[in-house]
Amino acid sequence: MLRKPQLRLVITFHTTAEALRTEQLARAAGLEGRLIPVPRQLSAGCGLAWSGAPETEKTLRLTLEGAGIQAEQMAQLTI
Amino acid sequence: MKESKWTLLGFGVLGGVLAALLAFFGNPGNMALCIACFIRDTAGAMGMHNANTVQYVRPEIVGIVVGAMILALVRREYKSTAGSAPVMRFALGVMTMIGALVFLGCPLRMVLRMAAGDLNAWVALIGFVGGIATGALFLRRGFSLGRSYEGMPAGGGVLSVMLVVVLVLSVTTGIMMVSTQGPGSMHAPVLLSLVCGLAFGAIAQHSRMCFAGSFRNLIFTRDVSMILVIAGVFVAMLVYNIAGGTFHLSFAGQPIAHSQHLWSILGMYAVGLAATLAGGCPLRQLVLAGQGSSDAACNVLGMFVGAAIAHNFKLASSAEGTTPAGRIAVVAVVVVLLLVGLVGTRQKKD
Repeated sequence: MLRKPQLRLVITFHTTAEALRTEQLARAAGLEGRLIPVPRQLSAGCGLAWSGAPETEKTLRLTLEGAGIQAEQMAQLTI
Repeated sequence: MKESKWTLLGFGVLGGVLAALLAFFGNPGNMALCIACFIRDTAGAMGMHNANTVQYVRPEIVGIVVGAMILALVRREYKSTAGSAPVMRFALGVMTMIGALVFLGCPLRMVLRMAAGDLNAWVALIGFVGGIATGALFLRRGFSLGRSYEGMPAGGGVLSVMLVVVLVLSVTTGIMMVSTQGPGSMHAPVLLSLVCGLAFGAIAQHSRMCFAGSFRNLIFTRDVSMILVIAGVFVAMLVYNIAGGTFHLSFAGQPIAHSQHLWSILGMYAVGLAATLAGGCPLRQLVLAGQGSSDAACNVLGMFVGAAIAHNFKLASSAEGTTPAGRIAVVAVVVVLLLVGLVGTRQKKD
């Protein structure tokens, strides 16, 4: 079933482990979102990115900061 | 712009057509394009090993790295990076090559063999996916080789330049060894091989074709888009084999293959695990090296050395089957890879 493109907050990371850790942290915090392959428009890399609701950006920034995770890129994309 | 699933499938088909062209114009049976075998042949041509049936500088390898580099430069995606556990990546490259040469092929050749009806390759797929699943488990538990950092722009181009020099020396001088019999003696014309390699490298760079990454992403995200690229390669080669009469559904009598299933499974298990820990299959390592990753270049150099080790110490299999040393080596490689995964995970937890 085709999903309608929507505005999402997309976060990419320097390592796959950081992406997986973010998924754990976001779930623990009850934040909506999921892991996706890094969107081609953001990077030529083939790693994982976090896709969440745009309104969760501030909370996620604080969560990542608290866990010592440095995002590579944080962008709002229609995907 | 987001790429549609059909576009990704199309890129795969295009890659498969290039492989079919190479097969039609002379590359060995079921080995139209094999990263492990072609690195092994190139290592042999440079005298890194003395197996006289597998020595030839394969322009496809040079083409893939340079093709990826050119497209990355054009799209402004070239980024010289380094510093993520280079020696470990080198060792992972060595172990990847040992596993691949016990099975007799990298993941790309495994798919080409599957498309020719080689049931041994379908069996090996079990090991490959198992290795990726094990690697995914380590990643889930926190395994990481650490991040890389941007460095001197020219640093990311060293491997490309080295490979171009090797190719130029190969076509202009007689200093490289060339097999007169065996797989190394079978090859498409140099220019065609180079052009197909360049195009394949560009396609792989654009589509992010990765045999390990596609299954890893499926495990973590349930996203099939990267697998579609591989499916495209498979479909194109399946059509070519059926049309050309080279499709034979069997275990026995397949070109440059053996039917020792346990060792095929273990060999590809090692490749899947090593590739997942290193962040990409052998093809992806070539492409990443072209995009400027010195860490990936270390993995590629490890594969060159691994090929030399595999042939100098008789670890590599042949159509007659595996060798005693090869069987011991692949078990040792699997144990070492599991230890690497465990230690890497434990360090993260500390």
